[in-house]
Amino acid sequence: MSIIVTARDVTRDYQRGRTRVRALRGATVEVRRGDFLAVTGPSGSGKSTLLHLLGGVDVATSGEVSFLGEDLGRLSVEARAALRLREVGLVFQRFHLLPMLTAIENVELPLAAARVPRRERRDRAAAVLERVGLADRLRHRPSQLSGGQCQRVAIARALANDPALVLADEPTGELDRATSRRVLTLFQELNASGTTLVVATHDLELAAGATRRIEVVDGSTRP
Amino acid sequence: MRTVLTVAGVAVSTAMLADMLMLGGGIQQSFGELLESRGYELRVSPKGTLPFDTEATIPGWGTLRDSVEGVVGVGRVAPVLAMSVSAELEGGEAGGSGDVTRTLGLGLDAGNRSLYEVVEGDGPGVGEVLVDARLAEALEVGPGSRMRLGIASEFGTWGRSASVRVSGTGDFVFATARDMPVAMPLADLQALSGKEDEVSFAMIRVGADADPEAVRAGIAGVADRVEVVTLAGISDKLDERLSYFRQVAVILGSVSLFVAALLIGTITAVSVSERLGVIAAVRAIGVARRRVVGDLAAESVVLATVGGGIGIGLAVVVAGYLETILAGLPGLPVAVRFFVLRPESLATAYGLVIVSGGVAGLVPAMRATGREVTELLHREEP
Repeated sequence: MSIIVTARDVTRDYQRGRTRVRALRGATVEVRRGDFLAVTGPSGSGKSTLLHLLGGVDVATSGEVSFLGEDLGRLSVEARAALRLREVGLVFQRFHLLPMLTAIENVELPLAAARVPRRERRDRAAAVLERVGLADRLRHRPSQLSGGQCQRVAIARALANDPALVLADEPTGELDRATSRRVLTLFQELNASGTTLVVATHDLELAAGATRRIEVVDGSTRP
Repeated sequence: MRTVLTVAGVAVSTAMLADMLMLGGGIQQSFGELLESRGYELRVSPKGTLPFDTEATIPGWGTLRDSVEGVVGVGRVAPVLAMSVSAELEGGEAGGSGDVTRTLGLGLDAGNRSLYEVVEGDGPGVGEVLVDARLAEALEVGPGSRMRLGIASEFGTWGRSASVRVSGTGDFVFATARDMPVAMPLADLQALSGKEDEVSFAMIRVGADADPEAVRAGIAGVADRVEVVTLAGISDKLDERLSYFRQVAVILGSVSLFVAALLIGTITAVSVSERLGVIAAVRAIGVARRRVVGDLAAESVVLATVGGGIGIGLAVVVAGYLETILAGLPGLPVAVRFFVLRPESLATAYGLVIVSGGVAGLVPAMRATGREVTELLHREEP
């Protein structure tokens, strides 16, 4: 399987007031096409930071992150944004859907940013919402949807541009047990159909459902 | 709810700005149009005064008139004598109160109707007077009535008086809310006031191909004891006198614009701070910063456009109401408008509010999207 992203010995420091905090220290990970990788670890261990580095949302203080052969540390902010738009789908714990837009309009957002023609993006957004089981909720706004449905819209938004990699940060953190299971099932179905997933989670059941798992402890990765 | 309140605030600010823009140039434009509508391009008045400024007169008018008429380019010369007169209804069939009314008497050459429009009856001939329609109504006089006119002062009527026949009623273009003039032949008023060879001012019509400025210079060359001004010159002098209005209008207009921008900037800042998570998420997805900024600024522009649009309508209504209040201001002709509905004033106010609203929205949008995406995500995600 081809490699999508690798992080080698990366560190990430943040300045918090006068204190310099090291969120990651020498983390190393490799994600191959077709992976369903669970990143686990206690709160504050650096899981989210690792995800942000893998997706090019953030850049490493030292070490190298290579995405489809490109060193993300050498790319400008705009170039990384363009790469994320094309190749990375992001799912957040709190969904972060635009409340004034309908489900289909939220899914269209990255397609519109990628300048996909209006008719095509409407068709693609509808298809991806159907894929996550929300064909009958296209015109609903987030306030009219349950938490699980909102997260499925967010997953559909992440899949809209057919990215090489989907990164999900605590995707079941705001959901009840039954809904979390449905999200896991959806991830497994997506992975089975070829989607590469990296999921940062506390949820042991979700982590157990992944095909591979690494643990982040005190900023370092353990297989 | 807060969006509705913001739109309402922007509407009120826009209305005030538009009204101030209308007020800032309204009187000058309105007065200028009134002057031009009379068809005389120049005015000759006593040195240092403008027509209707004071009761000063130009002595030796007969000689001066000959000199003025001899200037190349002078078409028609229309002298006016303006005096305070007392008007009293004489007894008879018409009846009336018999009260003495102090008003403005205008002595004009026969056939010169440039200062009034006849409403009823005809212009005044020798021994006749045309009465302001409002005064005629107050005194209950009409064509055929007889009145007694005298020269009035602060201390009462003095000198000669004359019995005159009312030839008709009219609307006087330069009449103020208080002055309800009467017009009569120039010679009659000169005789009544004892100022046989004096006029208050003269209106000069220039020939078809003549340049008013050249004619003005020509008259000034032969008559150095009078003020000769073009309509543009009168407008300039009026402009100086009304600079107070303009300054107030500029200050209040600027404050209104600032308030509108502040309202839009505030609601955008609040709205942006509530949506930091979504903004961070959208940027994390890969949507370019300029697009996010553009969308946020567009919301501000929409607020400004809607509020401004309502405000323009409100401005027209408020201007109409204020006009009725200011119309009674002493010393200014009733026909002069304070608020002239000029499309350019409304367009300027609307444009300024939209631009300032967009800029005001741009600042919080730039600040929010300028922050690190990861920092915002750390803040917004538990």
